[in-house]
Amino acid sequence: MTDGTDAAELRTDGGTTTGSRTVLGRFDPSAAFGRPLVVGALAVTLLFLLVPILLTLVASFASDWTGILPAGFVTLDNWRHALGIGLEVGSRRGVGSGLAFSVLLATGGMVLNIFVGVPIAYAVTRYDFVGRDWINAMAILPIAPGIVLGVAFLKTYPQYAGSALSLIVAYSILKSPFMVLTVQSSFQSMDLRQLEESGRALGASWLRTFVTVIVPNAKGGIMAGSIITWILAAAEFNFTWLVYSRGPKPFSLFLYSNITRSPILTAAAAVSIYFLIVTVAVLVLQFVGGTGFTTVRREEV
Amino acid sequence: MATTTGSPLSALRTRAYRLVYPRTEVDREHRRVVALCLPFFLLATVAAFLPMATMARASVSVGVYENVGWTGEFYRTLVSDPVYREIAVNTLWFAAATTLVSVAVGVGVAHALEKYDLPFERGLVAALSFPIALPGIVVAFLIVVLMGRSGLVTNALAALVGGDPFSLATATTVFGLFLAYLYSLIPRSALVLRGTYSEVNQDAEEAAQSLGASPLQTFYHVTLPQIRPGIVASFILTFRTALTIFGTVLVLQNLSLATLRIQHEIANGFEVQTAAAIGVIYFAFMLGFTYLGLQYTSAEVTTI
Repeated sequence: MTDGTDAAELRTDGGTTTGSRTVLGRFDPSAAFGRPLVVGALAVTLLFLLVPILLTLVASFASDWTGILPAGFVTLDNWRHALGIGLEVGSRRGVGSGLAFSVLLATGGMVLNIFVGVPIAYAVTRYDFVGRDWINAMAILPIAPGIVLGVAFLKTYPQYAGSALSLIVAYSILKSPFMVLTVQSSFQSMDLRQLEESGRALGASWLRTFVTVIVPNAKGGIMAGSIITWILAAAEFNFTWLVYSRGPKPFSLFLYSNITRSPILTAAAAVSIYFLIVTVAVLVLQFVGGTGFTTVRREEV
Repeated sequence: MATTTGSPLSALRTRAYRLVYPRTEVDREHRRVVALCLPFFLLATVAAFLPMATMARASVSVGVYENVGWTGEFYRTLVSDPVYREIAVNTLWFAAATTLVSVAVGVGVAHALEKYDLPFERGLVAALSFPIALPGIVVAFLIVVLMGRSGLVTNALAALVGGDPFSLATATTVFGLFLAYLYSLIPRSALVLRGTYSEVNQDAEEAAQSLGASPLQTFYHVTLPQIRPGIVASFILTFRTALTIFGTVLVLQNLSLATLRIQHEIANGFEVQTAAAIGVIYFAFMLGFTYLGLQYTSAEVTTI
């Protein structure tokens, strides 16, 4: 930690680092323990969040886990088992086609989200109109929980609730808030009125301005939103679980069967596949100017 | 207004006409707004409004496979059957308790990230955001990794106090589920609050400080009032998320909650009308709760 080097500096959290005394020289417990306590809470939280992830990743290469920590490194058997490599028969066949199917569904949901999310994000950021706040709230808050939407789809499209098209459409509406929020965050850091007026002044139509000036300027946000909605759609479980009936098994159901029915080390390998996908996504998100798996964008920094 | 004569209907017709054939710049702007919002509303109609309406109709339908006849039987069952009352109570207290803890922890986490110069801040935020990408079933697995029978905490505890790991495992208790909820919710609440924190006026905090306020006083009297909209927003978002969690409960199976019951109704005998009735109540409750919440803050504070 960096404190101690800048001893008498005033801190905006209200603490000074001049020991446990405030400016007026009174002893104050919150000056003495406040900061270590808050930093400690952050550390405990991060440990709680990260230790099981790292442990799972490590365990996926272990051959035995009976003690406190997994042991017997390094083996790829768990990964081979999870992916069904080298197995000719049994329920593990078709993992590959399931993964491919999920990639297709997630990509479909993502593309649909670009066409749906970017325009509405622009409308609520750029223009002022009657009902703007309501439309905004509707676009950035999930409309219904996945499981409730699943019941609704079963009732409305009984024959097709589990079809690829139905899954794509549902993933799109369930995850669209993430696209809208990310793109909005990008738009908010741009001077939209000026961009639009410059485009118009140079003779471009409004539509052309939107497509060739506004959208390319927000490409960081659109990319980040695409990655986030893609990942979330690829692992969507609640809706998928309720409507799935037959055909290739989506990735989230593959995870579920591993988590509930496989030995813990095989399950660890299956879950690690997903961790690797998310890690790649977070790294790409950092690269395109985001701050991790969040919709907040700080392009100006 | 566009017209001076006639009924509201003809006024509406004029407005619709103006949308298609705009005459003024204001008309054109209206047309743009409608065109920009249209794709979203088309998708929402097909994927949300229509299905939700059909589900609402199914909840009062006599027929199982087709929506025929009218009955309030399923809502009556939900109200009178003690099983459903218990589920409602469980769902509400559990979501409220996990939300309260998550928002409280979120304030601390956001404070530490935004107010202190911590090393590797970008890395810390990225790590904090990672769990948002994890579906509920994976979160349940991570809790099993910690608190299950062969879990890290379970076996460490067994080695320390000398007990049987099987009796010390807490993953499938209500406590385990509580931790699983916190795992999903804390990153969400913390990131909403972090957005609010970045807009806090530092001059006021420094002024309070130089006037002799302690860090705790500064936080309570200066910082807290400024982050209050963020706290409300994070409460709304976190509570909504807590209500929608399903995969975690399905894997851990330790408390009878509404989402689990919906799947139970579908899987056991296809009681689709009861499931639909629960769904309608769920939807109405979340809508009303969000509406009330937004009276105290603006939706713009919501960022994840």
